[in-house]
Amino acid sequence: MTTNVYTYRKPAGLRDYLPRLPAGVWSLSGFSLLWFGGIVLPLLAIIVVSFLQGRGLNINFDPTFLQYERFFSYGGGEMLARSVRIAGTVTIVELLLAFPFALWLAKGCKNNTVKLLTFTALTVPFFLSPAARVIVWRSVFGINGAVNQVLLGTGIVDEPVLWLIFSEFAVHFGFIGAFFPTMVWPIFLSVSLIDNDFLEASGDLGASRLRTLLHIILPLALPGIVAGFVFTFIPMLGDAVVASHMGGNNVLMLAAQVQSLIGVSNFLVAAALAAVVLAIMLAFQVLLWFALKPVGGLAGVFASLRR
Amino acid sequence: MAKSKKIISKHLYYHLSRRNFIKGAAAGSVIVGAPAILKGLTRRAKAAEKGVVRMLFTAPTMIPGDWTRFEKDTGLKMEDTVIKDDPGIFLTEVQVNDAGDRFDMISTLSGTEQSLIDGGNILQMETSAMPNWSGMPASIQSMPYLVRDLSPSAGKVWGVPLAMNADSFGYLPKKLGEKRPPEEASWSLVFENEKTMGRSSTGDNYIYLWEALAYLKHTGQLAVKDILNPSPAEAKATADFLIKRKEAGQFRLFWKIFDDQVAVMKNGEVDAIRCWEPAVNEANKAGGDWVYATAKEFYLKWMHGIYITSQVEDRGNIDEVYTALNWFLSGGYASAITPLRGYLNGRPDLAVDYNNSNGLEDITTAMDAAQEKMALKFAKEDFWFSAVPENLQEMQAQMDRVLNA
Repeated sequence: MTTNVYTYRKPAGLRDYLPRLPAGVWSLSGFSLLWFGGIVLPLLAIIVVSFLQGRGLNINFDPTFLQYERFFSYGGGEMLARSVRIAGTVTIVELLLAFPFALWLAKGCKNNTVKLLTFTALTVPFFLSPAARVIVWRSVFGINGAVNQVLLGTGIVDEPVLWLIFSEFAVHFGFIGAFFPTMVWPIFLSVSLIDNDFLEASGDLGASRLRTLLHIILPLALPGIVAGFVFTFIPMLGDAVVASHMGGNNVLMLAAQVQSLIGVSNFLVAAALAAVVLAIMLAFQVLLWFALKPVGGLAGVFASLRR
Repeated sequence: MAKSKKIISKHLYYHLSRRNFIKGAAAGSVIVGAPAILKGLTRRAKAAEKGVVRMLFTAPTMIPGDWTRFEKDTGLKMEDTVIKDDPGIFLTEVQVNDAGDRFDMISTLSGTEQSLIDGGNILQMETSAMPNWSGMPASIQSMPYLVRDLSPSAGKVWGVPLAMNADSFGYLPKKLGEKRPPEEASWSLVFENEKTMGRSSTGDNYIYLWEALAYLKHTGQLAVKDILNPSPAEAKATADFLIKRKEAGQFRLFWKIFDDQVAVMKNGEVDAIRCWEPAVNEANKAGGDWVYATAKEFYLKWMHGIYITSQVEDRGNIDEVYTALNWFLSGGYASAITPLRGYLNGRPDLAVDYNNSNGLEDITTAMDAAQEKMALKFAKEDFWFSAVPENLQEMQAQMDRVLNA
């Protein structure tokens, strides 16, 4: 007598068709594939396109430097220098303002209600449209705005001050307000992670407050400072709202220039601009690498978070 | 390496029964074909919504307040979307992002028609399907932008007029000591005038460079060969002029959008501004004393056209689309848009009957005034504007040079 033995076999799924490799390898290669397809490939495509010729959506595969020549001959170099200068200046100002504020919020402020209100004030701007965040300054700094009214009313000036709006000053100011939270949050988080025992030990060993700040807090807060720099400087370079609303297009910056090129289907010069920006970003990476070398490089900076 | 190959082949062999293979292939096909399937489902879903037409606009001022009259007159519902009127953005939306999948009609500044026809993005019009077409003045029916000779059977119609106007600029007559319309005012108030130094404004794109070029032509400062297609050298000379004026402190700002125009007029930032006519109405609602100039030198005449997207052919709602198009050529749209914005549609002559039969007689007076003003504007020679002139990119690049200065 023979007996048929039926064994249950789990229905095959997509995973069953894939080679059996450790899960880590799959997730790593999957991520790498996504990163390559979603980020590296488009960037390479932009670089390739920037060396082509054409008009609108019709592209001709003849290599050329024409788009770079065009970009620089229409004042692109000045625009880039201006964008980096403004974004760099504002980032440094943000750091100077945000660090003491974050330090107070993380270690100084003991009142939970005040802390909660401050958190809310820092979060609310993210719920508003970027335009709504800056447009309010027009009525403050405008020709008939509050500041001019006060200046005229108190006799400090005889004529309204015009450079308060639609100027580089206004663009700087608009950026400071808009990007303050992006600098505060990372620094606040890294300062919050500093163990209070370190600070007390420093004081017990006779260190002054300044010495504790420079030798304990600053090095340990470095991950937040680096992150704050990245989250503030880079998005500021790509911001099209502040320069347009506060600068009145008297101060042309990177994002507005890209919009202008796309607006007339000038994709090739836009690609050349993107390639130049990419080169600038790479140069910044190199600078950052050199700047952080004395503290063990980027890995060294973030190692402090593992404490 | 050899070991891992062995593992893979063994693994595949073990599981690749015929049934599993078919199941896998089906699943794979679904994943690979998902975008196309979803696209097809979406199209069918849209076609299933009978009585709704969707239209893409590139100017908020083309929308007649709300669509109540449209709905009452046609029995259709309108779903509108507005994007910016830059030709590159519009063409990208239509040709790269397949706007035709989402919209039955698209509208923008005339001049883009050739690109849309070449791209196969729009359908040729059946003018007999629009009863109001035949009564339109021949000068509008034969507008070179809307009609194209692409075959031995000449005069194919690819678009219908949505609205048109002749643009000049706004100014504060009392403050500047200038006369009010219908007395003429010079474009110098915008471009080079001591009275408006630091208190004038123009736009930030090639259109406004084009106007400066027209100003230079009319004031004898620049010889222009063809105002409809400025050469790169002419564009550069105009940019040089604007840079000089900018450095002299003439311009308060270069506005980007309609809301910017209204805001700076309301806030008292400027005394003269190249703006859209509706901006003057909006600024005056806030108590301003703005007037729209009867321009001494020239007007920039423009038309927004409407086009049927090619995808409508598959959706099967072409009759509804023609009903909607006919409404834009009707007294209903004329009676809504002219008093509101000062624009004319293709058949303003139908407005009187429409107003009389709908109890809107009071609107007729406003319409008469608008038509009279329009006749005055259109009597000037220059110039019908095309959204895509031959040297578009060069012109914008020169305007960018002005902004960069």
